[in-house]
Amino acid sequence: MPGSQLKRLKASLREQGVIGPQQSKKQRRKVAQNGKVNTNKRAAALDSIREEFNPFDFKHNARGPKFQVTSNRPALGDAAKGITGRPGDAKAIGEERRRQTLLIEMNRRNKTGGIRDQRFGENDASMTYEEKMAQRFVREKQSHKTSLFDLEDDEPIDGLTHMGKSLSFSEKDDFEETDLLDPEGSDSGNESGGSQRGLKRVRGADDVQDRDDENIEGEPERKKTKQEIYKEIIAKSKLHKAERQAQKDADEDLREELDQELSDIQSLLFLKPKLQSSEGNEATVKPDDPGRERMERDYDLRLRQLAMDRRAKPSDRTLTEEEIAQRDVEKLKELEDKRQRRMRGEELSDSEDTKEEDAHDTQSAPKNLGWFGEEEEENFKLGSGIRTRPTATELGFDDEDDFIVEDDLIASGSDLEPIESEDENSSAEDEEDDQDDEFTKGLLDETEARGTAFTKEFDSTRNETSTISSCPETLEQLLSISRGLPSEQIPALIQKVRILYHPKLASENKSKLAGFSRVLVQYLFHLSNASSSPPFATLESIIRHVHSLAKSFPVEIAEEFRLQIDNLASRCLSPTLGDLVILMAIGSIFPPSDAFHPVITPAMLLIARYLGQKISKTTTDFVQGAFMGSLALHYLKLSQRFCPEFMNFSLNTLASLAPTRPAKKLGNFPQHEPVPGIRITGASEAEIKKLKVVHCITPPSSELEDLSIRVATLETTLQLLDTASLLYASKPSFIESFEPVVLALSHLAKGSCKSQLPTALIDHVVKLQTKLHTMLTMSKLARRPLELHHHRPLAIKTAIPKFEDQFDPDRHYDADKDRAELAKLKAEHKKERKGAMRELRKDANFMAREKLRVKKQKDAAYEKKYKRLVAEIQGEEGREANAYEREKQARKRAAKRQG
Amino acid sequence: MPSTVDEASLKRKRAKVPEKPSKRTKHESSDEEEEDRQAEILLLEDEILKSKKNYNNITVLFEFAKSQHDPEVALFSMVSLCRVFLRLLASGNLSRKAGQSERETVVVQWLKARLSEYKKLLVSVLCEEQSASTALTLSMRLLKAETQTTSDKSESTFPKLFLKEIIGALISERFEDVQQEFCEKYLAEYADIRFYAFQALSDILSNHNTSSVDSGLFDSVFDLLSFFEGVPESTEDLGSLYVDLPKKKSSLVLSLHQQKKQCQSAWIALLKLNPDRQQRKRLLEIMAESIAPWFTQPELLMDFLTDSYNAGGSLSLLALSGVFYLIQTRNLDYPLFYHKLYSLLDDGILHSKHRSMFLRLLDTFLASTHLPAALVSSFIKRLARLSLNGPPSAIVAVIPWIYNLFKKHPLCTFMVHRVMRTPEAKAAVESEGMDDPFDENEDDPMQTKAIDSCLWEVVQLQSHYHPNVATIAKILSDQFTKQWYNMEDFLDHSYNSLIEAELSKSVKKPPVVEFMIPKRIFLPNDPVSGVEDNLIIKLWEFQ
Repeated sequence: MPGSQLKRLKASLREQGVIGPQQSKKQRRKVAQNGKVNTNKRAAALDSIREEFNPFDFKHNARGPKFQVTSNRPALGDAAKGITGRPGDAKAIGEERRRQTLLIEMNRRNKTGGIRDQRFGENDASMTYEEKMAQRFVREKQSHKTSLFDLEDDEPIDGLTHMGKSLSFSEKDDFEETDLLDPEGSDSGNESGGSQRGLKRVRGADDVQDRDDENIEGEPERKKTKQEIYKEIIAKSKLHKAERQAQKDADEDLREELDQELSDIQSLLFLKPKLQSSEGNEATVKPDDPGRERMERDYDLRLRQLAMDRRAKPSDRTLTEEEIAQRDVEKLKELEDKRQRRMRGEELSDSEDTKEEDAHDTQSAPKNLGWFGEEEEENFKLGSGIRTRPTATELGFDDEDDFIVEDDLIASGSDLEPIESEDENSSAEDEEDDQDDEFTKGLLDETEARGTAFTKEFDSTRNETSTISSCPETLEQLLSISRGLPSEQIPALIQKVRILYHPKLASENKSKLAGFSRVLVQYLFHLSNASSSPPFATLESIIRHVHSLAKSFPVEIAEEFRLQIDNLASRCLSPTLGDLVILMAIGSIFPPSDAFHPVITPAMLLIARYLGQKISKTTTDFVQGAFMGSLALHYLKLSQRFCPEFMNFSLNTLASLAPTRPAKKLGNFPQHEPVPGIRITGASEAEIKKLKVVHCITPPSSELEDLSIRVATLETTLQLLDTASLLYASKPSFIESFEPVVLALSHLAKGSCKSQLPTALIDHVVKLQTKLHTMLTMSKLARRPLELHHHRPLAIKTAIPKFEDQFDPDRHYDADKDRAELAKLKAEHKKERKGAMRELRKDANFMAREKLRVKKQKDAAYEKKYKRLVAEIQGEEGREANAYEREKQARKRAAKRQG
Repeated sequence: MPSTVDEASLKRKRAKVPEKPSKRTKHESSDEEEEDRQAEILLLEDEILKSKKNYNNITVLFEFAKSQHDPEVALFSMVSLCRVFLRLLASGNLSRKAGQSERETVVVQWLKARLSEYKKLLVSVLCEEQSASTALTLSMRLLKAETQTTSDKSESTFPKLFLKEIIGALISERFEDVQQEFCEKYLAEYADIRFYAFQALSDILSNHNTSSVDSGLFDSVFDLLSFFEGVPESTEDLGSLYVDLPKKKSSLVLSLHQQKKQCQSAWIALLKLNPDRQQRKRLLEIMAESIAPWFTQPELLMDFLTDSYNAGGSLSLLALSGVFYLIQTRNLDYPLFYHKLYSLLDDGILHSKHRSMFLRLLDTFLASTHLPAALVSSFIKRLARLSLNGPPSAIVAVIPWIYNLFKKHPLCTFMVHRVMRTPEAKAAVESEGMDDPFDENEDDPMQTKAIDSCLWEVVQLQSHYHPNVATIAKILSDQFTKQWYNMEDFLDHSYNSLIEAELSKSVKKPPVVEFMIPKRIFLPNDPVSGVEDNLIIKLWEFQ
């Protein structure tokens, strides 16, 4: 190693090839050809040498470099060389940044106003001038595209070209091409490169391609002049303008052409009534021919289909019979799957959590596993039927008056999938047909009629609907409307209301209809309570109306039913007929098999409460209980859930109605002592009749009727127990549940009772008894010891501390996550604080320095001025003195001469 | 009041007597006006206090007080009489002193006779609804004054007799607010009144003819005695003395032990009245909390409690807590306690209104981990059996209770998880199924073989119609990760609370609606259509 610094510098310069022996001309040219690469190399070499020779530019670890083993991360870059920082650079950068921000602020202090330069990239030093111009141009282009309907901006796909190249900005801007971007700047390029460029520009435009290739390969710093760029831009915009003009003309042509064709289509679309009427005029010969009418309707339908076909997507092809059947089967299967899942209560996203919660809950209702919270994320497609349906506008009918036939008023199950076309919908209707065809048909007919001849339909319904001035939204309104009508007319009235206030007809109809559906539920209750023998056919049809409305307004109807349930809860043990009808309606409108249901669950609880708490005293009570029992079984039929209260009540009925008292206890249920006179006696001749619902509220008129009702109740209870035994046959405790039943039955079949009961009933008892016997033995055979706890064994909590494989002493292994987080945050805060203080200090330093500099500058300027003035004055004074001296000398000389 | 004044006024007494009748007539003439009456009474009172000569005015006041037609005047004169007697007592005019002349002795005796007459009047007024409250206050004040002045301080005695009369009057009629007032103002506050009141009560009750207990008397005494919910813990809690008693006597009154003794005797006297079933229930309901703590010898309750416990039904349930108290504090050895407890688990227990109380106690009785598993499993199995017929509110309490027992007695978990070990046993079960080894009719919980049985009942309840009940029933088949369930969360439920809980949630999400609209709901389907009628149509005839 050479001793002196200078010698070492020279040696390293030579080593890097920066200086060397004189090169021949040939060698120099070669070097020049390599050009840029060489200069880069040279600059890098110079940099490294500079770094090497300035020991204060780096910050090193005070105790020398770290050993490799202390860190598991490989050291890279500076760190490899043991450099931990570059204070000089950092300082310079900091200084520069301050000059850019703080200094400007300082200078602007106490000043207001000024001009803000918002030109793109004006203050961005990193952009070259060309880049700036390009960006501004792009910005301008983009800002033009404001209006969606600006036809002028619709560029043809080819777009503008320049020299055969697309000028579109979607891919790559011309200005962003490598040839324009001169990353080094023109000043860094060497002389030879510049001359070469100059030469190339002289060449013809035909070898642009070549040039481009060359540029990509070896000539990155070729650069267009500003003039060239502007020329190009101007040319481009001119071309663009011309193109737009041409496009506009073409559009105009097309539109005119379309306008001419449109009159035909319009006549098809909008002049249907006229068409019809003209057809009607033709058919005046047989105006009331039904075949004719149907044909017209068919024609109308076909026409709409045609109109829709235009927009139909190719995927909407007509399905074959098998496909439709297949789809139906799939849909039904899907629905059944969903029902099963709901039945198992699987919508609970985290049953474990809720259970924990429920156990923790110290409030009065610890086990209210709400079905609400858990179901939140489950999306019931059934519920959102209305929304998935395309609106009339989507279907191509802009006119609301143009009533769509397919939009069946019964929001049928077809709302599972959006209906795109008529035939698809008709298939959905077909599928519905087997369930409720005659129910919907009337409505459909009417809507169709409405669609074709609205006024005519209106005429036909006027006799009933003329009284409907507004949609009945309270029970009183509905009652006032329906007052004069016989009960058979009421379904028709409801239909009318539903048609007149169909949601499609006006926007507020939806809420009106929702209110109406609430009223219907109330009306259901009212109507069934109104007389001792309510019109069940009407009630049935109202329930079905409510059911179909429930598909559109599930929340409203559910809330109304819950209100009714709430009312019923207060008089649970003495329900009216209306309550029974409401419970029936709930059981048919809502799926009773669901594990959690906002309506079903409380309704079932009410039924069970009746069965559990009612102590039957009169025949009516027993009939009511039997009805409640059948409701309970109706609710639990699909889910096969167990209802202890039903068993208790039925057993109590058997024990209470039996002609004699059972000798021993029948089972573990609380047995109530019947009131005297309720036991069936001397009914051996009685005929077994089917129980009537009205008996639930009206006490029997005569002794004989009383007896026959009691016998019928006993019979019904037997049937109910029969059904229940089928439902619960697979339950693990079937034996315990039904052994009391067998005991009660054998008591009924015993001599003392046998003589008092009709033989048909005894036959039934015996039959049920033998059936239960076999079922009990079957159940016994099927019974296995419980093995409920085949769970994965719980791990014993370990006391061994966790071993870190890759322990890092710098890291904190805090087991408490919150605390670790907090510590991290605190450390960060401390660091930031220190950094901020340092920055502030540096800022203050900088400002002081700047002020000093300004002051010095000012002082220097002042000094200079002062000196200049002094010098000036002195100069002037000197001249005057000289002149005086000269004058004096001259005078002296003159005086001498004279003297 | 200084006695010299009385000496002086004594001389003038004769002179003033003749004036009195004229005054009286004058006053009587203005009989109509109430205020005049009251003014007259005040005047009379004033005159009495001014001079001994006017003592005869007392008789006039008595006449007023006894007059039936004007209760307000009667009340007013009674108050005024009370004032008179209080003053007289305070001035010592009612006590015989040494060296008094015979005439004076006669006067004192006359006054004493009037005083006792007044007392009788007060006691009789206590039995009248509207004035009872005032009479009570007056008599209590008189009682206080009497003790303080009757004799010299060293040997003053509590007027037990008067108090007894007061209490006798109080309990003979049922004026609840007066009784309440007596309890709150005197019984609760003053140790001596409490002490002597207990004494008086036990005296009254023991003298009472046992054959004829009228329920009114029982209820009044019961109310008086059960007024104290807690027993005073220390002497400080006993309260102060109403009358100043000599040290010796006050120490007796202020001793906690003595108080308890008196109360105990009062209670025992009440229990001896042969209460009927309803009364027994009332007694048993507060037995452990309010009655038994008063007893210095709770063993005395033993007969009553065991009798009640053996009576069966809800009485046994209620007696249970009392018996338990005795077992806990007195180490009462109840033979076959668990046997008896097991027999209480009858079909009505889950439907009884004392269910939660009973389950709480049952929880306590079976809390020990030292109980044999066979016994615990009998209880578990029995309750599981019963819950097959129980209301949901009972099931939700029983299941966590079973869980807690399982955690305490892991041996019992065989009831939910029993793997057949030998291939023979497995084959036997496969071929013949399994009979429940549990013997329902066995009375001895150690012999029921419940430990060999399984809880099929709970598995059945997992498909209970109420979803929450079903979910709770599932905790027994889940892994037992939870340490225990807090029974208090599950005990107090009813159909009402369950329905309310359901209805209080609002409907946020559109509820699921049945997909198919049934063709027929009430009326039978056409047989042609082939659609099956629903259950209700099959069984019922509409129309």
